[in-house]
Amino acid sequence: MNPAELAAGAAQIVGGLVAAPLLPGTIQHWKARLQGRRGPSPLQPYRELKRLWGKSRVAVEGSGIAYRAAPLLVAAALGTAVLLVPVTSAGPDWGVGHDVLALAGLLSLARFALAASSFDTANGFALMGASRDLMISIFVEATLVLSLAVAVLAARSTDLTDVITGTAGLAAWSGPVLVLGSIGYAFVVVAETGRQPIDNPDTHLELTMIHEGPLLEYAGRDLAFLQWAMAARHWVVLVIAAQIFLPHPPGPWGQLATLPVTLVLLCGALAVTETLVAKSGILRAPRLIATGALVALLGITVGLAGLS
Amino acid sequence: MTANVVGMLRPRGAGGRGPDGPGAPRGGGEDPRSYRDRVEAALAAGRRFAGLHVGAGGDVVRTLLVAPDGTAELIGTSVDDGAVPSIVDLVPAATWDEREAWDRFGIAFDGHHPLRPLLDHSGSVSWTVPVLGADVYQVAVGPIHAGVIESGHFRFHLVGDRILQVDARLFYKHRGLEPAAENEPFDVGLAHAGRACAACTVSNSVAYATAWEQILGLVPTPGLARARTVLLELERVWSHLNDIAAICAGVGLAAGNARFADLTDRARRLNALLSGHRFAFGSVRIGRSEIEADTETVDGIRDGLIRIQEEFTRSWRELVFNPSFTDRMPGVGVVDAAQAVLLGTTGPAARAAGLAEDVRAASPGLSYPGFEAVVPTRADGDVRARFEQRSLELEQSFGLLLGLLDGPLESALAEPGAPSRQIGIGLVESPRGRTSCVVERAGARAAGSDGSRERSRDGSRDDEHRIARWRLRTGSYANWPSVAFAAAGNLLPDFPLINKSFELCYSCVDR
Repeated sequence: MNPAELAAGAAQIVGGLVAAPLLPGTIQHWKARLQGRRGPSPLQPYRELKRLWGKSRVAVEGSGIAYRAAPLLVAAALGTAVLLVPVTSAGPDWGVGHDVLALAGLLSLARFALAASSFDTANGFALMGASRDLMISIFVEATLVLSLAVAVLAARSTDLTDVITGTAGLAAWSGPVLVLGSIGYAFVVVAETGRQPIDNPDTHLELTMIHEGPLLEYAGRDLAFLQWAMAARHWVVLVIAAQIFLPHPPGPWGQLATLPVTLVLLCGALAVTETLVAKSGILRAPRLIATGALVALLGITVGLAGLS
Repeated sequence: MTANVVGMLRPRGAGGRGPDGPGAPRGGGEDPRSYRDRVEAALAAGRRFAGLHVGAGGDVVRTLLVAPDGTAELIGTSVDDGAVPSIVDLVPAATWDEREAWDRFGIAFDGHHPLRPLLDHSGSVSWTVPVLGADVYQVAVGPIHAGVIESGHFRFHLVGDRILQVDARLFYKHRGLEPAAENEPFDVGLAHAGRACAACTVSNSVAYATAWEQILGLVPTPGLARARTVLLELERVWSHLNDIAAICAGVGLAAGNARFADLTDRARRLNALLSGHRFAFGSVRIGRSEIEADTETVDGIRDGLIRIQEEFTRSWRELVFNPSFTDRMPGVGVVDAAQAVLLGTTGPAARAAGLAEDVRAASPGLSYPGFEAVVPTRADGDVRARFEQRSLELEQSFGLLLGLLDGPLESALAEPGAPSRQIGIGLVESPRGRTSCVVERAGARAAGSDGSRERSRDGSRDDEHRIARWRLRTGSYANWPSVAFAAAGNLLPDFPLINKSFELCYSCVDR
């Protein structure tokens, strides 16, 4: 293992498994500042996790395996996704490869596990949230795959380390292909992190919930797993945004240096968006995400036309 | 009209409550048929239902009807064998009032079937409307909510995310404020009216005080009218700013919510400058005003108001040019003008539907010279219209207040100048609509309306000025059925927005 690989691997483990809660924490912190409130510190998610971890597991009476297994399954899927997404082009192979389609599958697995848990408990709000999430996910997954396909076309490989290399430097941005892919992926970032205009992570309005709904029946360590998984989802989605869909240097050391800066900028962008943009109507959300899919599709078309 | 014919013509039902033999003699000298006729005639003449009042003896039920010119009349009917004819078929707005009268006084309403419980949560009779059909399911929300709000239970009947019907169940914190003040001196009731709701404390207090001033034959002097109008309009300013903040919260627009929440509290602090309390608790008195503010204080309030108005104008512009926000409102939660008349919708919600009705246009005891109700250009009765209505009324209130705050405020009195009465009716345009307070004084039933009674306005606790029965019917009470109506046919995730576009009080209802 060479030094670049070692550094990338360390950043991936420390960042994805330990530092991930800093991302939603930072967004919340800045969002509060933008509203003129002092708000919680960016470390607040850790306090939450500590509090929840100190509690015992409680299960809904009469619930089955789908409810009980979901938190672990979701956390395991996201844990694997963290290992799968390299932070630089020199990212080590942790035995799970770097395939983009496997990533889409892992995110879907987590979504399925949580939806199944809602059907298990049959809690009204959980079911409502899960059914909306499944409806929206049809469009989110399509947009995810299409926008990643743009990057895959540019790099001519589905291995994420190759994709990072293939989209590095300024040459990749000389044509419109990657720009179109980035626009498409921006919708994925908003939807997968459960942020406005698709979902509102701060809401207390049960009737409007999407991602929060299925979490309502969980407490204690189960909820800690799910909250960590949401933070890890931020990490996975934002690292891909930073190292593929935004300009990044060609070398692994340069990529490692720019990653924190880009992540902070992305958190800032999400905080600003969530402050200034209202949540869209529930039936408008699929159309909104489908717009991203169309832009990504255009990117693919342009890419193929340019290649042939 | 003979009793027999009356029995045959009256609608049947009332769930078997109250014996209803066709030949049963009608006592009390009041013909029930003529009660319904008179109510129908008054409604046809453009009067609006404004409340139902059970008399102190429980032997008479009076319907309060208000004309566009501000005159109010009570049409009464005697209770016969525990029942009176229902008027819900004539004016559906009376539904809650009749249900409440049944729950509180056991008065049955012939023709109101089924008479579902409203305050009483213990009964075996279903309080929800049955909704049947394939794929219909129910979602129960509340009475405990995740937000910092009062208790209220909403039962949604849905197909998918589409609302078919909502049943609202309130009164979880019913305090019995009204019966607790019965047989007490008149000034005790003022505290009860003032504490019915913090958000509407000025409106409710002025309605109560006005009712007693009518009973005592007192007429507010211009100074008293001015002081009360300032308090009422300050209440409306902070309340409407708060409503806009709530609408922003309903669609998750954090920036708008934060900005208008800030403006709301700055407006409340103007109340504190004037009365020493951010909600202006205890600022209203019966027959007098003790608000005193020198030129410096009044100028301070004026300056504060001008700054709030400037920032409001800027913030409002940012809201209406935010497409993600404005996109959420058109066509959502519609109550049109005809429906508003039937439902008894009042206040900004009724004006947003195009009904140019405002108690302020005919409030002789207050200072509203030349006042005219405003309606939005797009009076569609949807969330957008209610949202825009708040802005129009805010501009109106800023104008009114800047005109009224033109010099020091001094304590003022109401003066004798009208015949004393047995029943007083106080009408106020609260931020949420028409609030009526009907007070029946204890004893001295023989006293006529000829002004012969000795008046007293010094608050002395003599037996002449005791409360026999009173009822506070707030704008929120009048509008809750409209919220449920407006929600039907809309999407479930839009309900918080529809609810917040009315932004009604729970406390005003659970009194």
